[in-house]
Parts: sequence; C-alpha cells; structure tokens
Amino acid sequence: MCLAIPAKIMAIENDTATVDVDGMVRRADLTLVENARIGDYVIMHAGFAIDVMDERAGLESLALLREAFPVEHDDRPA
Amino acid sequence: MAARTIKIAPITRIEGHATIAIHLDDAGNVADSKVHFQSIRGFEKFVEGKPAEELPRIVNRICGICPWHHHLASNKAVDRCFGVTPTPAGHKLRELVQTIAQAEDKLLHFFFLAAADFVIGPDADYAVRNVIGIAKANPELATKVVQMRYKAKMILEKFAGKAIHPVAGVVGGFAKPLTEADRQWMLADMREILDFALFTIEFAKKDVFPKYLDAIQSLGVIKTGFIGTVDDNGALNLYDGKIRLMKPDGAFADFDVQNYADYIGEQVVPWSYGKFPYAKSWNEGFSLDLENPKGIYRANTLARINVADKMATPRAQAELEEFRSLFGRPAQATLLYHYARLIEEVYACEHAIELLKDPSITDTDVRAKVEPRAGRGVGCVEAPRGTLIHDYSTDDNGLVTRANLIVGTTHNLGPINMSVNQAARALIKDGVADEGILNKVEMAVRAYDP
Repeated sequence: MCLAIPAKIMAIENDTATVDVDGMVRRADLTLVENARIGDYVIMHAGFAIDVMDERAGLESLALLREAFPVEHDDRPA
Repeated sequence: MAARTIKIAPITRIEGHATIAIHLDDAGNVADSKVHFQSIRGFEKFVEGKPAEELPRIVNRICGICPWHHHLASNKAVDRCFGVTPTPAGHKLRELVQTIAQAEDKLLHFFFLAAADFVIGPDADYAVRNVIGIAKANPELATKVVQMRYKAKMILEKFAGKAIHPVAGVVGGFAKPLTEADRQWMLADMREILDFALFTIEFAKKDVFPKYLDAIQSLGVIKTGFIGTVDDNGALNLYDGKIRLMKPDGAFADFDVQNYADYIGEQVVPWSYGKFPYAKSWNEGFSLDLENPKGIYRANTLARINVADKMATPRAQAELEEFRSLFGRPAQATLLYHYARLIEEVYACEHAIELLKDPSITDTDVRAKVEPRAGRGVGCVEAPRGTLIHDYSTDDNGLVTRANLIVGTTHNLGPINMSVNQAARALIKDGVADEGILNKVEMAVRAYDP
C-alpha cells in the first residue's frame, strides 16, 4: 500500500515531470523537491515527488523491489 | 435503470493502486462498495534467510514513503531478537529523528494531500484541486509550507543521512553521536517549525474547519475502537511505550507489544489479498457491518489522540483539551483525523525541542555491543499512518527465519472500507454520482492518509 517505487524522470515542464514507473507513464508534481533532473529517480507519494535519487540509487531500489515482489501483487479486482 | 459499478481509480491523492468500486442496484442506490489496496505480503518471504541486522536498511527502500519509521521499528525488533538494550543516548537519538520525521510528514499531508479539499473545496474542478490551486488561493502560505517541510527534511538529512535511505539507526543504538554544534542549529530550526505548527492549527481552526462542520459531522462517520501508544503516564508517545487498545465505548486495555498477537488477529476476506487486522481480544469476531461492526478499531492520528489520557507537552495538551471539549472522547468523526494530525504536529515539534534541550543527548555512548543470536523480537513505533509492528524470529547465526509486519494503513483497511460505504450510501441516490460526490467519497479515504 505504500511501496516506494522509484519513478524515472523522462521530461520536465515547469513544476511537473513526466515519469516512468516500471513501464507506466505518470505525472509527478515537483514542487516539494529541489534539483530534480531528467534521468533522476523520484519517490512519489500521492502525485508528489517527495524525494530525489540519482540513477544508481534508483536502480538499486528497483532491483530490490523486483527481488522482493517477483510477481505483481495487486489486490484482486472488484 | 440497470445495476452498474462506479470505479474511482486511481484515487487522486493516494499512492499506489488504491481503487474504489461502488456497486449500484437497479434503482441506482448503493448496494455495496469495496476499497482495494496494493498488497505487500511478498516482503515477509523475501527477508527470510537474510541477516537480521540488514533488515533495517532493506525495509526503508521498499517502504520509502515513511522510511524512518520502518527503519526504527525494524531496528527495535532486531534489538529484541539479539537481546540488546540501546544505550540511553542511542535511544534518545532514535526518538529524536523519528519525532522530526513525524513533524515533516504531517505538514506534507495536511497541506498537500488533504488541504486541497478544504482550501479549494470538494466541489471544485479536479484540475485545480491540487497544489497549484492552493498556491493561487494563498501563495504566501504555499511558499511557507514548502520551506518548512524542506527544513524538517534537511534537519534529518544533514544530521542523519538521506531520509529515503536512513542508515543512522543501528542495532543497539545509533550510528553517530550528536555534536553540540548540531544540537544548537537543530534546536533553532525546530523552534521555527513549532511556530509554524502553532500558526497552522490556529489557521485551520479559524479559517478551515468551521466551513466544513457539516461534512465533519457526517462524511464517512463510523463507530469503532482505536489503537495507539502511550507512556507510563498515559500520555501519547510516538516512539515507545505500551499499546493501548480502546473499545468504541472508551474502555481500554494496555499491553506490551511483544504480546500483540494475543490482542490483534489478522482476518482474511475472500475479496482481498490483504489481511485485515481486528481486535481479537474483544472476542466478538470480525464484521464490517456499518450498523454493527465487530472487532473493528482504527489507527493513525485520531486513534492516538483518542487513546491518550493526555499530551506530554503543554501547547499540545491545551489543544487536546479544546478538541475534547468540542468532540468528546473517543471522537468518532472521520474528518477529525485532520484536526488530530495538527495537534500531533504541535506535540512532535515540542517534543523534538524537549529532546534537543536535554544535555545528555550529546553523550557519545550511542551504541551498545551486540552479538547475533537466536531469538524473537517485536519492534513497534507509531508511524504517521498508525501503529507499525515488525515481528522477526532469528536462528543461531542471526538469520531471519520468519517475519510478520503490520503496517499503519493495514489497521485501517476495514475502517476505510466502512467509511467509503457510509459516504457512498449517504451521497449517491438514484444513480446520481457526479465529480463532487465522488470526490467527497475520496475525502473519506484521504482522512486516513493511506
């Protein structure tokens, strides 16, 4: 429910980034973080980027998440 | 009119894959509703076989929305497995960073995730129900919020490392002592954040909550018990203490978190992979029935405020007294989570200042010696979203043989479903469910900050 999946910044326009979250394209509000650049990874909470990490740290976290959750664990659909 | 299902997905300001499904009958009235959340069950298998002392560093990369809280609950669990008690300075430093992380999270939630509903209004167009809308409505405030939240975040980063990957907590205590110079600037920064916390609660009481009294008294209101942590005097504590489980009528029992499984059960329901915690010790089973719920209790801010006899700091205590004079104890209205969050924000700032004023916090004996061994340990802190429990067992080499986690939001899975059901039934009539109505249903979820 509160997994921190690093999202890769693909593009930035004003304070909004287009990010790739494990293949899904989402929008992230950058108001709360400083110095986020294209290629960085952000941790998102409810549409806001709340933390920035460089590519190395982002990839490390993604690898850990893939190891911990080899199968997509979404809840059952309605 | 044919029966149909309304879906709200993704919920605007809730992370992950939370979705709401509202089932309408032939007449267009609510037959049933379900809230679905992403599940984290895979994590417990993943950590089996790993050295226990690595878990505090692994868990915060996965549960990175509140990394400090997972990091410290995990450290406390490993301490217990290995039979070590942190040194007094190590204990205080852990409590300090956890309390500051709480202060940071509450500012973020109130202003960015929740306040848009209040400041902009629940009926406003989706496009302006976000921070840009807030900034347009009140640009000075928006700037100040960003500054204050950033200041809290930077206190943690400058002293204890990057919040997203905290490594400062270590088994047996803390990785480094606090210098006198650090203590001084942190005190100054926390005093500034306390001033802003006091401004915020005054602002909310004067300009925000009065406009929404009707909604507060009706939207998502359910009757449940509550859980939280209190110290030996019955005062709210976020880092350590005994667990208090309160019934809907206000009667309560206190227990050591090592025995949590005697009090809290985990119910499996056919429509979800997530387990639903319930109050096993009440011996009444589990039911989400709105009229007659069984075993249902809530966690997070309102729960902690309800179970505490008092607040340990003066400004927060004054706020709690005012709150209780208006809403009683326990207060049940779901939107009061926001009000309770601001009282806790005042407490977190005051308490961080208290901890920093204690000269012994700069003691350099921050870490007790520890050897891996076989054992079982339960570590618990009050995370922003509720009572966070890490339960590990280790073998002779200190490798994890079994892990069980109950994370804050999990306690509230049942209550969130009930609040959505209540709100949907009250608001959706004859098949009419416009944007304003659906956003009000979301508001009932957002109060829990899932």
